[in-house]
Amino acid sequence: MRTSLNETEQIEAYLLQPADKGESLLFDARAILNPALHDKMIWQQKAYEIVHLYGRKQLQQEIRAVHLKLFSLPEHAGFRQRIKRLFQKR
Amino acid sequence: MQGISNLNRNTEQREALFISLYKSAFPAVARYISKMGGSFDEAKDIFQDALVVYYERSAAAGFVISSNEKSYLLGIAKYLWFNKHRENNKNLPMGDIEVEADEDDESPSAGKLMYYLQTAGKKCMELLRAFYYDRLHLTDAAEQFGYSSVRSATVQKYKCLEKVRETIKQRSLTYEDFLE
Repeated sequence: MRTSLNETEQIEAYLLQPADKGESLLFDARAILNPALHDKMIWQQKAYEIVHLYGRKQLQQEIRAVHLKLFSLPEHAGFRQRIKRLFQKR
Repeated sequence: MQGISNLNRNTEQREALFISLYKSAFPAVARYISKMGGSFDEAKDIFQDALVVYYERSAAAGFVISSNEKSYLLGIAKYLWFNKHRENNKNLPMGDIEVEADEDDESPSAGKLMYYLQTAGKKCMELLRAFYYDRLHLTDAAEQFGYSSVRSATVQKYKCLEKVRETIKQRSLTYEDFLE
C-alpha cells in the first residue's frame, strides 16, 4: 500500500481499535508534533460519522421498502388484514 | 434465531431478513401500540426504529442477540414508545438505546454533504457502508464488490476513506455549520 494509505490505516487503528496504551500515547505524540496528521485524524473521525449516517439512511430506506411491499402486494394480504384488525377495534 | 451476521451481506438478504422480522414481531408490537392508544402509523414508525436498533446492535462486532428476536424487538419498541410519551423526557436518562437518524436531526450542511457523497461517490459510500456500518467480513466484502482479493478490497477501502475524508474537509470549509 502507498504511504498515505498506510497512514490512513494507522489513523483507523488509533480511532477505532483499542490499542495498547503505549502505542496510543505514541500516536498522540506524533499527532501533536505533526499538525497535518492531527488534521487527518479529525476529518477521518468525521468520515466515519458520515458513513454511519449514510448506512443508517440506506437501511431505513430498505426497511420502508419492505413495509411498502408487505402493505401493498397481494401475497401479504393475510398479514396486512391481521395488523389492520388491531387498529379497527378501538 | 438466525444470526444477522449470516444475513446482512446484500440488499436481497437484508430484505428477506426484514420481511421475516416484520412477520414474526410486528403483530406483537402493533398490538402493544394499539393497546396503548397509538395509531398504525405510530406502530410503523416505532417498529422501523426498533429494526434499526436491532440491526445495528447485531451487526456490531462481537455482539450476539441471545433472546429471541420477537421479544427483543418488542422490548425495544416498548422502550421507544415509553420514551416518546413520557413527560419531561429530556431530564431523564435515555438509557443506551438511541435512534437519531431522522432528517430533522441532520444539520443543513450534513444534508448537503450527504447529497453530494450519494451522487458523486456512491460506489465508495456503498463500499464503506459495507465495512463500517454492516460490518461485513473482509472476505465477504471483497466477494460482494468483485475484488480479486481481500488485499485489493482493503486498499480500495482506504482509498475511498481518503476520498470521503478529503471531500468532507473541502466541503466543510464552505458548510460552516457542519463543524459545529
